[in-house]
Amino acid sequence: MWTGLAVGSLLAGLSQLAPAIGDQPSITTGYRIAVNGVSPERASCASCHQQNGAGQPDVGIPRLAGLSSSYIAAQLEYFATGARKDPVMSPYAAMLTPVQRQAVADYFASLPVPRQPDLIQARESTLDRGRTLFLDGDYHSGLLSCSQCHGRTGLGVSDFSPRLAGQSADYVAQKLEQWESGDLRDPKGSFMRAEASHLTQSDIAALAAFVSSLGGKEAGKP
Amino acid sequence: MKRNGIWKIAALVLLAADVGTVTAWKISSLFTVRPGSFQPPSDSAIPAGKFGDVVRFGEQIFRDPGTYARQFVGNQLRCSNCHLEAGRLGGAAPMWAAYTAYPAYRSKNGHVNSFEERLQGCFRYSMNGKVPKLGDPVLVALESYSYFLAKGLPTGETAPGRGFPALPKPALPPDYGRGAQVYAQNCASCHGAEGLGQSSGGQVVFPPLWGPQSYNWGAGMTSIKNAAEFIQANMPLGLGGTLSPQQSWDVAAFIDSQVRPQDPRFNGGVEQTRKKYHDSEYSMYGRTVNGAVLGDPDLTPPAGTVPPEAPERAEARP
Repeated sequence: MWTGLAVGSLLAGLSQLAPAIGDQPSITTGYRIAVNGVSPERASCASCHQQNGAGQPDVGIPRLAGLSSSYIAAQLEYFATGARKDPVMSPYAAMLTPVQRQAVADYFASLPVPRQPDLIQARESTLDRGRTLFLDGDYHSGLLSCSQCHGRTGLGVSDFSPRLAGQSADYVAQKLEQWESGDLRDPKGSFMRAEASHLTQSDIAALAAFVSSLGGKEAGKP
Repeated sequence: MKRNGIWKIAALVLLAADVGTVTAWKISSLFTVRPGSFQPPSDSAIPAGKFGDVVRFGEQIFRDPGTYARQFVGNQLRCSNCHLEAGRLGGAAPMWAAYTAYPAYRSKNGHVNSFEERLQGCFRYSMNGKVPKLGDPVLVALESYSYFLAKGLPTGETAPGRGFPALPKPALPPDYGRGAQVYAQNCASCHGAEGLGQSSGGQVVFPPLWGPQSYNWGAGMTSIKNAAEFIQANMPLGLGGTLSPQQSWDVAAFIDSQVRPQDPRFNGGVEQTRKKYHDSEYSMYGRTVNGAVLGDPDLTPPAGTVPPEAPERAEARP
């Protein structure tokens, strides 16, 4: 029966899901590292990204809660190996072993998504432009809709496309500018570099404002 | 002075090299709007009034048929999964080029088809669903949207950008094993290792390429040639043209050698159905792959499934 195939596929899907959730001892280890750090001379993850993973949206420090464990772990590995270069993050990631990086990723991925505390300082017309670009793209500039990879509610897909809903607008704008300038950012950056090449400065501002305004439930207007 | 000049030249060479590498990816990424391709009007040109409302409804169906035409949709695909940029992108079977190509004779069913009848085929095969009756508001809306996109295009001529760009035959015959490697490296992170697609917040974001929720064995995409042409020009999404023609043929052969819903024209036997509808080197229907015959009724999900709770008529209407 073909239903047997479907059930098999479903099981395969579930077993893929399991490691993403992370196991409890790893989360506990990750919590200790995130809050205390691994060296008395260096700040902890939480001193910038906060213990609840909310980050500091107003200064462009990204929120980590809401990202998948596999995505965070991959980025930490890129920072540690130099595949993604960042003057702040690279030395911190390099201090951690692969097991510790996974634990930190499991901890931040296990947290509930904090609400965006700041009111979005953007005009309605800016948000409208961002919404249109996000949901429909722009045929004339060649921009695909962001929702084609990040989902219409901006929640992202596994480790391929991170959650954008409620992310720091400053951080999103910084990254889009980095890709727009031609930088890959990380080994999987070719998709975003291609899309960002279709964006103007005002499009970047509109998209950053729009995704940071998303609550993660409804992206579209009613 | 002379030394200064050498430095200037060196700087210019460096600058040129730098500009070369930066523009190389910018140019390749700009292929999303294909130069020389017809420019369909944007949404802002949709007229006010009843006709414009139906055009807009057509675009909604096109982007999200599972919501706006759910009584006819039997899988998790959207029209816009293959007709990229919501049917606007040349080289991704744009709707403006399809619109001006009908009425036309089709060997697939042996008679002259109206545009609406052509749309019925999409629901029957690509959407593995039920066929809306001619004149159904869903078909009228999709026809209106396509008509709107085709503004200014002449009839009776093949619009440049129609269908998918032709691909030369591969140097080596398309190969399942090489295709599996291309798939794992370039496709699996979005479409999933099992080809079943991936969701975000309960909505399908990356479409399933095989399995019970993908296109059935009657769909044009089951032709390895069609799939290879689509893939080479358009995949990975936003990075079209980056896979080589050989890689595109190989991965198309891999994808079109998987289990998918039955051909709705199934006439009682796999061999007979192959002989009648799949007599082509580009179709794997009826061929044995990994010990199983593709299309074997015991291993093949049914054709024409729609959600059992689907209402008779669409809920959302302009």
